[in-house]
Amino acid sequence: MAETLLSIRDLSIAYEVGSKDVVAVSGASFDVPQGTIVGLVGESGCGKTTMARALTRVIADNARIDGGAMQFDGQDLAALSERDMNALRWRDISFIPQSAMNSLDPVYRVEYQIIEVLRDRGGMRKAQARARAVELFEMVGIDPGRLRDFPHQFSGGMRQRAAIALALALNPKLVVADEPVTALDVIIQRQILDQLRGLQRELGLSVIMVTHDISVVAYICDRTVVMYAGKVVENCDTATLLNEPLHPYSMGLKNAFPDLQSAGTGVLTPIAGSPPDLIDPPKGCRFAARCPFATDLCRNTEPALTEAAPDHHVACHRASEAAVLRETAKDPATWGAVT
Amino acid sequence: MSTLKPFLIRTLQLLLVLWAVVTILFLMFRLMPGNPLAAYIDPTFTAEQQEALIRQFGLDKPLWQQYFTYLGNLLQGELGDSFRYRTPVAERILLLLPNTLILTFSSLIVAYTFGILAGAWLAWKRNSRFEAAALPAVLATRAMPEFWLGMVLLAIFSFSLGWFPAGGTRSAGTSYDSLWQLYTSANFLSHLFLPMMTLAIYSQGLPLLLMRSNMLDVMKEDFVTMAKIKGLSPSAVVIRHGARNALLPVMTSFAIAVGYQLQGNVVVESVFSWPGLGRELVNAVAASDYPLAQGAFLMIAIVVITMNLIADLLYTFLDPRISHA
Repeated sequence: MAETLLSIRDLSIAYEVGSKDVVAVSGASFDVPQGTIVGLVGESGCGKTTMARALTRVIADNARIDGGAMQFDGQDLAALSERDMNALRWRDISFIPQSAMNSLDPVYRVEYQIIEVLRDRGGMRKAQARARAVELFEMVGIDPGRLRDFPHQFSGGMRQRAAIALALALNPKLVVADEPVTALDVIIQRQILDQLRGLQRELGLSVIMVTHDISVVAYICDRTVVMYAGKVVENCDTATLLNEPLHPYSMGLKNAFPDLQSAGTGVLTPIAGSPPDLIDPPKGCRFAARCPFATDLCRNTEPALTEAAPDHHVACHRASEAAVLRETAKDPATWGAVT
Repeated sequence: MSTLKPFLIRTLQLLLVLWAVVTILFLMFRLMPGNPLAAYIDPTFTAEQQEALIRQFGLDKPLWQQYFTYLGNLLQGELGDSFRYRTPVAERILLLLPNTLILTFSSLIVAYTFGILAGAWLAWKRNSRFEAAALPAVLATRAMPEFWLGMVLLAIFSFSLGWFPAGGTRSAGTSYDSLWQLYTSANFLSHLFLPMMTLAIYSQGLPLLLMRSNMLDVMKEDFVTMAKIKGLSPSAVVIRHGARNALLPVMTSFAIAVGYQLQGNVVVESVFSWPGLGRELVNAVAASDYPLAQGAFLMIAIVVITMNLIADLLYTFLDPRISHA
């Protein structure tokens, strides 16, 4: 197995809201092996974006890393001084934002914004940076003639490509992509994902792909980390997750999205209910209230993330019965009964 | 090509507005009570002489004919003669205009430079004790009437400390070879300082508060967050990306401020006996010197309208999203 580039252990991140803390990420652990795309999937508010941003250590004013470690290439990102962290930003860890429109500064030409990073952070000279900008645009499939355009002159897809070009500018070790295709239509989504996949293979990049869309995960990610209400509930390679999920939430997620690969049954089954309030999380398993298989044990005792099968981590009391539960989970009626 | 067309449209709009101003001015002075010639005609003139004068000025003709005569004269730069000085109005106005422009623009440049920097700084110091003290202070300067502020400055720096002269543009008896030499002389600048500071202190509040609130908004934008994630230096984040974007609406306010400032000039020029258009306007109205007042009004209107045009064009230059709209 490939060397581990990033190893997150027991990471907790809290937002201070009024006098209370909202623990958005609570004791999360997972690894990113060198040269793989790891999907971070879950619904809105599950803490996936918070976690992604924590890797850059640029987090909201009211957020703080509340413990745990992010071992990246021999250094703990959570413990680095601001100065050392800043040296690492973009050179080693870059970021592809969800909304490329707002992430490009409207008053500067796209070329300037690429050159800015190459010069300020990469130490390149202007001519060198210009040439690199052309190269980057060619890499992501935009006509370098459009470099002199302003961001508003780009289409949504082009902006996203430009954001990818920007993220690759300094040959980072890790690219954190926060819902990079969510704002785009399906055709463009697929083009961008193909592009990203191609570049990742070509450059041997490690990528964390934050998404709420399990079809994106299925399409592009080597491994997948499923998050629910601030917790990692399942972590394994993507094929295993799709075919033999151990956590009922993963089973439910799969039912709730159309399959990009095959025609499927065409029936989508949503998971009823909504995630728990993170100001006052329930004491047992956080998914228990929505889980069709929840027992008293689930409602009272929080399951730990354990390695239930080789290289397959799950936090569920009934993981050993997963094979049976999977069959039951395929029936939409299983999910309809839950309130 | 694409930049020329909006320019032409704006210029046409400017001419239209100017025509409207001219027309309103024409009607306004015709509607004023009293005979416009009352100040001009000597009471000892006989009735025939008076009528002859009225005919000579064309005041016996119908209003529309007078209006076209007036427009025709304007196009030739002919603003008539001042009743008081018996010299052409245009000449008088061109003599005073530079004083007003220098006062207006120097004070605005000081106000905007200070306001923009301090506003950005205050946004940076959000929720600090410094901010808590600075904001009320700014609001206080905004609330002070400018004539009062002018008199306070005069009392302190001129009458008590004697650092600056009390009025005028230069000391009596000084003369300069050219206007340029006059305007760059220490003597002129020391006369300029107090009225300039009065207007500057009065007008720095607008750019300051505007810049501060814009900065607070812009610093929450995604591209600013991205600049931080890129590891750019704090100055690049705050100035290159933050301030540069927050500046846009402040620049528009500059043009509007010129209009306000010319209004403020009327008061401040009077306080400091600054021989500018504003003071002239007040004197002309007081002396029923209609041609001069009309000319001064017109000139102020031209400056304001031109500044609006410049601001529009500047905005297209500063914000790439506008130029291609």
